[in-house]
Amino acid sequence: MEWHPLLLSLQVASIATAITAVAGVLTAWLLASKRFPGRELLDVIITTPMVLPPTVLGYYVLVAIGRRSAIGGLYESLTGSSLVFTRTGAVIAAAIGAFPLVVKAARAALEAVDPMLVAAARTLGAGPARAFFTVRLPLAMGGIVAGIMLGFARSLGDFGVTLMIAGDIPGETQTASLAIYDAIQANRERDALGMIAVLSVTAIAILYVVNKLGAGDQHVR
Amino acid sequence: MGFSQGGRENGRFVGSSKSNLPYSLTPCSILLALTLASACKKSEPTAQEPAQVRVAAAADLSLAFRDVAMAYEKKTGVKVVFTFGSTGNLAKQIDEGAKYDLFAAANVSFADQVIASGACDGATKAPYARGRIVLWTKDDAKIDPPKSVADLADKRFVKIAIANPEHAPYGMAAQQAMTAAGVWETVKPKLVYGENVQQTLQFAQTGNVEVAIVALSLAIVVEGGKYTLVEEAQHKPIDQALVVCSRGGNAAGGKDFASFVSSADGRAIMRKFGFVLPGESVVKAP
Repeated sequence: MEWHPLLLSLQVASIATAITAVAGVLTAWLLASKRFPGRELLDVIITTPMVLPPTVLGYYVLVAIGRRSAIGGLYESLTGSSLVFTRTGAVIAAAIGAFPLVVKAARAALEAVDPMLVAAARTLGAGPARAFFTVRLPLAMGGIVAGIMLGFARSLGDFGVTLMIAGDIPGETQTASLAIYDAIQANRERDALGMIAVLSVTAIAILYVVNKLGAGDQHVR
Repeated sequence: MGFSQGGRENGRFVGSSKSNLPYSLTPCSILLALTLASACKKSEPTAQEPAQVRVAAAADLSLAFRDVAMAYEKKTGVKVVFTFGSTGNLAKQIDEGAKYDLFAAANVSFADQVIASGACDGATKAPYARGRIVLWTKDDAKIDPPKSVADLADKRFVKIAIANPEHAPYGMAAQQAMTAAGVWETVKPKLVYGENVQQTLQFAQTGNVEVAIVALSLAIVVEGGKYTLVEEAQHKPIDQALVVCSRGGNAAGGKDFASFVSSADGRAIMRKFGFVLPGESVVKAP
């Protein structure tokens, strides 16, 4: 049984989740509270990775952050290492699929909070920021955490985009889902079984907790 | 078109069609079930429908075999439906019950694998080509292309792509060539791995690696790059073998297409793509 790909996957998924949690909740707040032109268009663009074929998405990402792209080129000239074929690239691949899950769940949870409660907090003298952090955010927390957990599970399991941009480098970007794939192709099922079991149990446990969170929180539809 | 059809019937998808209990309520899985149902229907040849041959072929054949199939279709009226992929991956799918009439492997050992599992007929195993590997560089690369495998150690090559040597025969040959040239340890940290030889080429085409080690059969036709042939002595011969399989339901068709590949017409096409053919030992350097 190979442990390294699993540990790498956990590491990549954790970093990806930290990034998507912050950026996702911020984006969700923007979508849930602010009216601006192109708001729904932004939502659509954010959701697109959920429905695009991984190959298409992976190709876009490869072209967008590849070594010949503006972003990838700038990053390489600053850090001396490319974005694709690195752990950073694997994190990006893992985060892209997770981001819409976080945004969707957090937006729904924030929108489900009764505006009267926020308004009441405001009449009692709370500023907009205080009302958000002491009333709206805590009330939406169940849904937000559920979204973040789903995002983590999605990051942990990413295959398509990672395959296309991370280069499958053992010990560097060969995450568990890639290592499982390679092991099965190379007739090393036994190496794959442990990783398959761990990933399956993790996924089921996360879904169970997410369901519990959903059931306990009436503010989330 | 034929490409996606073949893919839909691979082992994994067929497996999931059985369990339409827990998640069949989502529109997505209903759609999937419908497509699967129609795909299954197609696999039983009817009187009106012209027969077709299902071929699982190594990724290095993706361009050559399309031409061979076109010539075959013109001659016989029989349609050839391909699934191209990493040889190891295809062998696995055939072992697991994927329905193909013919398997064209990029390495003879994978043909032996599907024979051992009973999915394909050992008596029909035949060599059809020997592959060569090349060092491929994009035309607009600002660096001099490598002259030999040993050159890859040079620091002007930051990233180099090869097919995954664990299950892709062209990747195995690439690794052997670098080992033979004494640069494996130096080059290893620069390597990225493509799932198959076509994805490996794509890494170079999109400018993400300076060099990709790919099949001559792809390099010979793909535009926008230069290539250097790797000496054949630097790696074990990439002896490609095909074998007729029974589960596709048209073994006779598989056999017929196989004999077309090794006919004069088939060989002419394969030669054009840089394959060394059985009975011919030398390939001219381009």
